[in-house]
Amino acid sequence: MKNFILTFITVLAGGLLGYWGVPWWSLVPVGLAAGWLIRNTPARGFAAGFLAGFLLWGIWAFALDHANEGILSARIGMLFQGLGNWMLILITALLGGLVAGFAVLSGSLGYDLAFPPKKGPYARRRRRR
Amino acid sequence: MRLIRFLFAFLPLAGLVWALSVPLKAGDKTLPALGRFFSPFSGFWQNAEPANGRNAVPLQAKLPALKGPVEVVWDDMMVPHIFAGDPNDAAMVQGYIHASHRLFQMDIVSRQTAGRLSEVIGPRTLEADRLIRRRGLPWAVERNMKSLQQSPRTMQLLEAYAAGVNAYIDQLNPATLPLEYKLMNFEPEHWSPERTLFVVANMIDALNNRDNDLAATNSLAVFGRDTFNYLYPSWNAKQTPIIPDTGQWADIQPLVRPETVSGQTAPGSAPPERSELSPNRDLNGSNNWAVAGSRTRSGAPILCNDTHLPLRLPHVWYVQQIQTPQFNSYGIVVPGVPLMAIGFNNDMAWGFTNCSHEVADWYRLQWTDGGKTTYLLDGQPRKAELRVEEIRVKGAPAVRDTVRYTDWGPVVYDQPDHPLHDCAYRYVAHDPMKPESLYEFLNISSARNYDDYRKAIPGLEALSQNVAFASRNGAIALTVQGKFPVRQNGQGRFVQDGTAWANNWAGYIPASQLPAMRNPSRGFVYSANQHSTPPTYPYYYLGNFDHSRGRRIYQRLENMRDITIDSMKSIQLDNYSQRAADGLHALLRRVKREQLNDSEKKWLSALEQWDARYQPDQIAPSLFEMWFDSTYFHTWDEMENLRRQKTAVLYPEHWRFCELLESDSASVFFDELSTPQREEAGDIVTAGFHKMAARAEKMPSDSLQWHTFKGFVIKHLAMLDAFSRLDVSVGGSRNSPNAISTNHGPTWRMIVEMGAPIRALGVYPGGQSGNPGSRYYDNFVDAWARGDYFDLVFLSQSDEQNPRILARQTFTPGS
Repeated sequence: MKNFILTFITVLAGGLLGYWGVPWWSLVPVGLAAGWLIRNTPARGFAAGFLAGFLLWGIWAFALDHANEGILSARIGMLFQGLGNWMLILITALLGGLVAGFAVLSGSLGYDLAFPPKKGPYARRRRRR
Repeated sequence: MRLIRFLFAFLPLAGLVWALSVPLKAGDKTLPALGRFFSPFSGFWQNAEPANGRNAVPLQAKLPALKGPVEVVWDDMMVPHIFAGDPNDAAMVQGYIHASHRLFQMDIVSRQTAGRLSEVIGPRTLEADRLIRRRGLPWAVERNMKSLQQSPRTMQLLEAYAAGVNAYIDQLNPATLPLEYKLMNFEPEHWSPERTLFVVANMIDALNNRDNDLAATNSLAVFGRDTFNYLYPSWNAKQTPIIPDTGQWADIQPLVRPETVSGQTAPGSAPPERSELSPNRDLNGSNNWAVAGSRTRSGAPILCNDTHLPLRLPHVWYVQQIQTPQFNSYGIVVPGVPLMAIGFNNDMAWGFTNCSHEVADWYRLQWTDGGKTTYLLDGQPRKAELRVEEIRVKGAPAVRDTVRYTDWGPVVYDQPDHPLHDCAYRYVAHDPMKPESLYEFLNISSARNYDDYRKAIPGLEALSQNVAFASRNGAIALTVQGKFPVRQNGQGRFVQDGTAWANNWAGYIPASQLPAMRNPSRGFVYSANQHSTPPTYPYYYLGNFDHSRGRRIYQRLENMRDITIDSMKSIQLDNYSQRAADGLHALLRRVKREQLNDSEKKWLSALEQWDARYQPDQIAPSLFEMWFDSTYFHTWDEMENLRRQKTAVLYPEHWRFCELLESDSASVFFDELSTPQREEAGDIVTAGFHKMAARAEKMPSDSLQWHTFKGFVIKHLAMLDAFSRLDVSVGGSRNSPNAISTNHGPTWRMIVEMGAPIRALGVYPGGQSGNPGSRYYDNFVDAWARGDYFDLVFLSQSDEQNPRILARQTFTPGS
């Protein structure tokens, strides 16, 4: 659980760099690094990354949309076949979640590929180092 | 095994990142890469401005090149009130503010006139770029630049403005970039004085670029002189010209030369669009008037102006107040240009309508060689200058296009099948401005009296305008201002012979002989794009004049006493159409009632009860439009046949059509060519009625209501429906004083009462911010559609207290 939270926070903090102008795809190296360095089961790693990306992008978009009273999301929604603002927020959140989730997963499985766990490939619990 | 597991994670990741990184294609448009566009840190969400208005005011407050601090006060309309110690400082802050609200618009408008849209949009704008370059607009701007460079104070002003725009551009980052750039995937380019001139040229061109020379030439050749004069008289006896003849022109000895007219037809390869040839297409027109204190309840003169242009979002105008030690003025500007266009100051108010004179002519050349490098002029061969236009195209190789320039001007069309392909284009907008012109016009903001006003308006140069004036001391005036060619009688109506220099214009009508009036005894001056003068004015001129609004406004003003601001609103919002009143009278007089069945009589009675007002919820205006149109085009089947044979000919003007219906119902033109029997007006009018009724029967009654039938829209500049307003319902018609047609209408309704204090009202169908994510993007639209106005906040000093002030900021020098 501790590593789950650690992964979540790392991805969240890394993704937040976007606020200071770091491009959107910085979620990828951040997620890869978190997956590589912080040991989790693949499922947990993915979940932690997904949740961090999903919440970060979703809540950020929601906050901007809320302050904007939905003026812009109504217009952008029309641009994409009439999507509502909740749909746009959900898509935004999903994009953030999927990118971060797969990045953590790739990092984690990449580590396994580079340093095969001693107890065999299907070990349920793995400790760091 | 581990590799496979890894790839199960990594391949989706790589695929996702790739899919989110490439720009999408949808038809010929490109959509942005979705990752960047959806990221809440850099994408469109960042353009979602807080609706409480916090970010609507630009935040940066440092402009290194300022000479002193500049105070900016923002009111609840998001109008900036700029208080500067120096006109160049005011220009710089204007540049920053215009850019912060309207950068994309400025960029696109300037690119459009420079023929540089394809650079950022791609091949689909290539033809538009090519044509504007071949019409010589960038060439003319180059020449204007050279001229303006001789005026240091003009250049300082324009440089200061550009520095302000560029300071804004330089602090942009991927997150704060205006939304359209994110969508269309390009970046703003630095501003320069030249780009301001492109915006000026765009306005001049929008108002001056019209001619019917080719269609008139063909009409003359097909119909002969007598029929030509019968079909297309230029003077309408019912017209109320802008400036009446009071004997003021008796002393003018104009240049008169014998008429030279060439009349060969010029068939084209493609059938010309009917709408291009009808003289009744949407005109960029306007209304303005000023009433003297003798007619107003308050005793102070009132000036009104509403400018009719294509309606777009972001809106064509930006509203602002500027105060410097030289002036304190409030009004509208075109973003991209630091000069107040229309407005008022403490002492006077001024407003524009378009003169609608024709100031572009065509000259047929005679080449002396197959390569078209030399042409004949007065018996001598002259070499054409070649100018190579290089048009860069996004996603495609650059296109090089050679344009031949003659002594007349450029040869616009090089396609051999274009009817004007060997013709040179003489256009008033080609003549370089005087070095001080822009600066001269800037001074209208500081005009205190009639003399100052007359001194400032020649600075308009090729932008020919009817300029109304009202001052606090009670004077009213109207001047027809512009560069009007001194023409031979009839010159410019037809394509002319380009082998004789004698066919050139003999200069421009001198300023002192331009039609003007000051403090007339009738107590008002007005203009609505009608003829400038009666035919007794000694100079010949031609143009596309409106025959409806002016007559209506004249009647309203003439009968109005005890005028208040509300009575002025009632004229600006008047949906009555003189054209419809005349047309309806003529049609009802000729229709054969005995040939109408019972359900048709229902439509007839709706029309008989109609008062020629285009009210949004009525069906009679829609019925009338259908009836008038089908009768009109049915009558002019002669023109329609020629059009199908690819010969462009003129359609008679609506007022002339009504006149013929009334007074010459047996005219041969009412005879339908395709039938053996002889028709007269009544038959065609009745046939038109049947057609209208058949169409109306098929339509649900709500789509027959005028506001739906008209299909009013305010489109976004890049034609994106999502950023447009498609839901606005309004009355009016292009021939009503409230001249709202499908996508065209009053872009700035202004009423200024020059009392103490000044009371000013204004509204436009848009909003100050160009950001579709701002609540200030379209917040005036509904008020405009309802016919509401805003009281304009005109501050006398920067620290004045006013409950409508939203924010204050100070721009300071230093970095």
